[in-house]
Amino acid sequence: MANTFAFAESRGGALRRVAFEAVSAARALADASGGGEVHAMLVGAPGIASLAGELGKYGADMVIVVEHAGLANANVEALAATAAARIKAGGYRAAIFSASAQGRDLAPRVAAQLGVSMAADVTAFELAGDALVVKHPAYAGKVIATLKLTGSPAIVTLRPGARAAVEAVREARVESAQPTSDPGASKLVVKEMIVGGGTKLDIGDAPVIVSGGRGLKSAENFKLVEDLAAAFGNAAVGATRAVTDDGWRPHSDQIGQTGRQVSPELYVALGISGAIQHIAGMRNSRTIVAINKDKEAPIFKVADYGIVGDVIEILPVLTAAVKEARAKG
Amino acid sequence: MKIAVCIKRVPDMETRFKIAASGTAVDEAGLKYDMSDFDGYAVETALQLNEKQGPGETVVISLGPDVVQEQLRKALSMGADRAVQLKAERVPTDGLVIARALAAELKGGAYDLIFFGRQAVDSANATVGPMVAELLGLPCATAVSTLDIANGRGTARRDLEGAAEIVEFALPAVVTIDEGMPRARYPSLKGIMAAKKKPLEVKPAQLGEERLTLEKMELPPERAAGRIVGEGPGAVAELVRLLHTEAKVL
Amino acid sequence: MRTENAVFLLVLLLAAGFFSYNVQRLLSYLSIAQPDDRSGHPLVRLKNVITVAFLQKKILRDPVAGPMHALIFWGFVVLTVGTIELLLNGSFPAFSYAFLPSQLYTFYSISQDVFGALVLGAIAFAFYRRLVLHPERLEGDGLEHSDALLILGAIAGLMVTMFAVNAFGLALEPDSITRAKPLSLALSIPLRNLPTGLLTGAHAVFWWMHALLVLAFLNYLPYSKHLHIVSSIPNVYFSNSQGPGPKGVIRFLDLEAENVEQFGAADVDQMTWKDLLDGYTCTECGRCTSVCPAHLTGKVLSPRKIIIDTRRRLMEKAPLMLGDYSEVAHHALVHGEGDEGSMSATAILEHRLLDNFITEEELWQCTTCRACIQECPVGIEHLDHIVDMRRNLVLMESRFPPEVLPTFESMERNGSPWAFRPDDRAKWADGLDIPTMAELTERGESPEILFWVGCMGSFDDRSKKISVAFARILQAAGVPFAILGQEETCNGDPARRMGNEYLYQTLAKQNIETLTRCDVKTIVTFCPHCFHQIGNEYPQLGGNYEVIHHSTYIERLLEAGRVPFDTDAGKTLTMAYHDSCYLGRYNDVYDAPRETLRRALPIVTMVEPERTRDRGMCCGAGGGRMFMEETQGKRINIERAEQLLATGADTLAVACPFCMTMISDGVKAKGSDVPVLDISEVVASRLRV
Repeated sequence: MANTFAFAESRGGALRRVAFEAVSAARALADASGGGEVHAMLVGAPGIASLAGELGKYGADMVIVVEHAGLANANVEALAATAAARIKAGGYRAAIFSASAQGRDLAPRVAAQLGVSMAADVTAFELAGDALVVKHPAYAGKVIATLKLTGSPAIVTLRPGARAAVEAVREARVESAQPTSDPGASKLVVKEMIVGGGTKLDIGDAPVIVSGGRGLKSAENFKLVEDLAAAFGNAAVGATRAVTDDGWRPHSDQIGQTGRQVSPELYVALGISGAIQHIAGMRNSRTIVAINKDKEAPIFKVADYGIVGDVIEILPVLTAAVKEARAKG
Repeated sequence: MKIAVCIKRVPDMETRFKIAASGTAVDEAGLKYDMSDFDGYAVETALQLNEKQGPGETVVISLGPDVVQEQLRKALSMGADRAVQLKAERVPTDGLVIARALAAELKGGAYDLIFFGRQAVDSANATVGPMVAELLGLPCATAVSTLDIANGRGTARRDLEGAAEIVEFALPAVVTIDEGMPRARYPSLKGIMAAKKKPLEVKPAQLGEERLTLEKMELPPERAAGRIVGEGPGAVAELVRLLHTEAKVL
Repeated sequence: MRTENAVFLLVLLLAAGFFSYNVQRLLSYLSIAQPDDRSGHPLVRLKNVITVAFLQKKILRDPVAGPMHALIFWGFVVLTVGTIELLLNGSFPAFSYAFLPSQLYTFYSISQDVFGALVLGAIAFAFYRRLVLHPERLEGDGLEHSDALLILGAIAGLMVTMFAVNAFGLALEPDSITRAKPLSLALSIPLRNLPTGLLTGAHAVFWWMHALLVLAFLNYLPYSKHLHIVSSIPNVYFSNSQGPGPKGVIRFLDLEAENVEQFGAADVDQMTWKDLLDGYTCTECGRCTSVCPAHLTGKVLSPRKIIIDTRRRLMEKAPLMLGDYSEVAHHALVHGEGDEGSMSATAILEHRLLDNFITEEELWQCTTCRACIQECPVGIEHLDHIVDMRRNLVLMESRFPPEVLPTFESMERNGSPWAFRPDDRAKWADGLDIPTMAELTERGESPEILFWVGCMGSFDDRSKKISVAFARILQAAGVPFAILGQEETCNGDPARRMGNEYLYQTLAKQNIETLTRCDVKTIVTFCPHCFHQIGNEYPQLGGNYEVIHHSTYIERLLEAGRVPFDTDAGKTLTMAYHDSCYLGRYNDVYDAPRETLRRALPIVTMVEPERTRDRGMCCGAGGGRMFMEETQGKRINIERAEQLLATGADTLAVACPFCMTMISDGVKAKGSDVPVLDISEVVASRLRV
């Protein structure tokens, strides 16, 4: 029976979904090791303590709240020192962080400070005697590695979304703590937070790309593509070389051998026949949807899902359906 | 400025990997190697900084067997001044072991900046850079997509999920380089010729015991073959259902 | 010897001396250049001189300016014989050709008069053309125009004074041995009544005018584009554009040579002497630029400018390199000598041909289609200049359009310009029962031919259909063949054409190693780039194979009756065939694809686009252009598709997978649904199942 530590990530005074996943994972680990406690660390500007109760819902027995005006934004050096000191003092079997931008920044520093090894970006884990055995996707997701982490505490970063947070409601105790090192003395500080929304997503970053080809017939019809991108909310608009050559879209939007090479979660090819030049730039996308009037078009060879038909006719229907699905989920 | 760039030799990710008979490695037959993409950006960033900001030195370091000299030579052909190989039979699985070996080499080097790629594209851990920073007591900006260095201070943008932060830090510092930074330049033949004459020092890596070990490697389940969902606007509902329940992208 | 003879002899010697000084000077400029061995195959080279220079084969490709120039040229040759007589006679009055047999002398006399008249007529037309018709290809700066007009005027002056000398001479001595000049004789008749003193005086005046004009003309040449009168014969002799050897082969670059620190050329002293001789030889006629696909679609590239720039840079830099600073002082005074008069020697030396004269943009616009070289009547090899400068850009400075980077990287990593997995290379052949060389070797068999598939045929979905079509023809004809499968890699052509000789040689050596290991003798491929590269350029690296393009191979199979056809005649097609540059202009394969189409479809009607065969226009993909953006002007493939569609054909045929992509895209962009087929697909569609 051993206690487990979880780092509950927050941003702008609100808990992030990954915080619940980390707590929930710690709960599972604690239960597997015979029912130890889960201690979640919650860090932020004064007032953050009010969120502690939410962590109890996913299985935290105690929430260590570190409130400090200098911790409104992430301050990795202060956080690492504070978490490391607490993990050391608490004698935890394991410490779970998120493999988020913040967690990936923080966990290795904690591990190095504690002088222990860590497993990064894991999708599954189980206890095996003295060791923690984890799964970690490597080689651009083409290989799944099984790794054995020995030593205590075992530091792990958990891939966001890999394990859904499961409710395990309890009343969490709250313990207040002070940062171990002065946030003001950190050599690296966050000067500015830019919260997304208004900024147009770049095709290199967007998880979803909706891309149009000559099948759209005119520059004006790209409005339909933009509408679909807006319905997704996290989509960028791309285009084929033929389209950028014709000046329907700027050259920076071109996806393909001579343009950008992308690999989003979802790639929607609209009115694109699938010339080699284009396929070379997008075939590594995780899921590919193609809509084209020619059922022999090469694009259907790389697509996971295809609809044969007139893209101009189908687009408004698809946009409405995506909008609806997004609203629900 | 004196800049160190730590690079890793990795196989080409375009490959359709097979698992070796040992079950703990990918089959190396027919693999093509290069430096990890992000490490290439890191070398490029270092070279551009020193080109713009006057005299400096760019030192590339790689830990591993003698084959890593290929990637070190490539960095030299891009314009790095000298290279160090921390010789080891293989690259350890445990990031802390690597970080300690690198930190030992970097410690007395009086570097203004130490660059890493955001992560190695093969092992994909992103742990060594910040660990080295911690071991050396340096600030570390991870996964930066822009970087400005002026008057002994650095400013960088880090892209978070759905947001970004601008961080400021004092030099010396560790920075890990993400997408958005300049792509590695294509070495000219002139550079390749010049690289042959640049110093490449080989030292034994100081490796400790590994506490993260590789048990098994396996291929993920095969992706299902693509299919035509239907024809015309009537097929949209089914498509959206599949994207939601099967592909889980909606 | 009379005083005037002595005076003339002195003038003659001075003029000849000044001319030879200038020739020496120009020759000395070539000494700054890089070596290039062009000594081999003297008979082939001599034949080129006879056909291209003396018979004006290329000049006559232009139906208007061609005969005009040919007349002036032949006139020049014939009249030079007379000029020599005149100059010698002026110095040594006793000298004349009169010692010749009288019939020959009569023939000579007639020839002088007749050609004099013909040249005068041609010159008149040339004036009309330049001043009234303004052909586009003759556009140039004011200096170029005044040079041209000066030359035309001088030739006209020579002819007029020649006739005047002859006419006044014959008026003085109607029974002279030179009377067999019908025109001069006719002109002399009205003069006979003039007083003898006047006739003698006029004769002397015109004689001196003519002689001095000849000498002035001679000495003007080194400062004019008309230097080609002197340089074009050696340039044609040393040119490889008509052979010896295969056409369009890029100069080998020894990358392992010791102490070589410059790869490619950024300035004139890094070019070969032949490149510089090209500069001396260019007459600015613009035939090259008038057929250049880049120029025709509104891009900045002009092959003519590349050559003129080479000369201009040579003329300003070479004297300085050779320690002659006097040229700096006067280079602004005369045509063709330098950039701006105000530049100091240091500034000139800091300049270079690349960037200061020729921009990167111009160089990357070239499709290496060889149309310019094909048209050039004086053996200029524009591509040598362009590729050498591209080599400098890539190998020395790592400068190239950003979109080329993934192409280079992919060729390096994946062995194909496209970012596709090498292990998918033979996927198109799945289920077709096509053995690989490795499989056959294991079984102890060897095929009749190796089918070299190429990267397009392996990875491009459209071209994969061509691979299948050709394989089906081979199977139907019972030809034992194999493919290399995963052992095949890109032949390296795009890298070489884009100046990346290092990458090219890496790939080529790898392929040669594979082909040697598999003991390959005969290779058939449907990609003209693979065809040209492996057949014509691999020998530089020690790879010698018989390489046959599929058009030729299928034609042979059809001729031998080895392809079983359906008896059904099928539908009537009106077909236009588009010539691939690397098949046509590079390898002179024009008839095989056409013949294949005719044989495969007896009811086919062939129509030819306006630009066809050795004048065919590039699709826009060559020279690595396939992998670059085309941002300036009209797209070449659209221009070409328009030309092909204008024939009214209901089917377009190609014999190159790159042309297939470009022409299909062009046709689609025009909103046309005329199908574009590879010749093998046309044949395969009629195979008896």
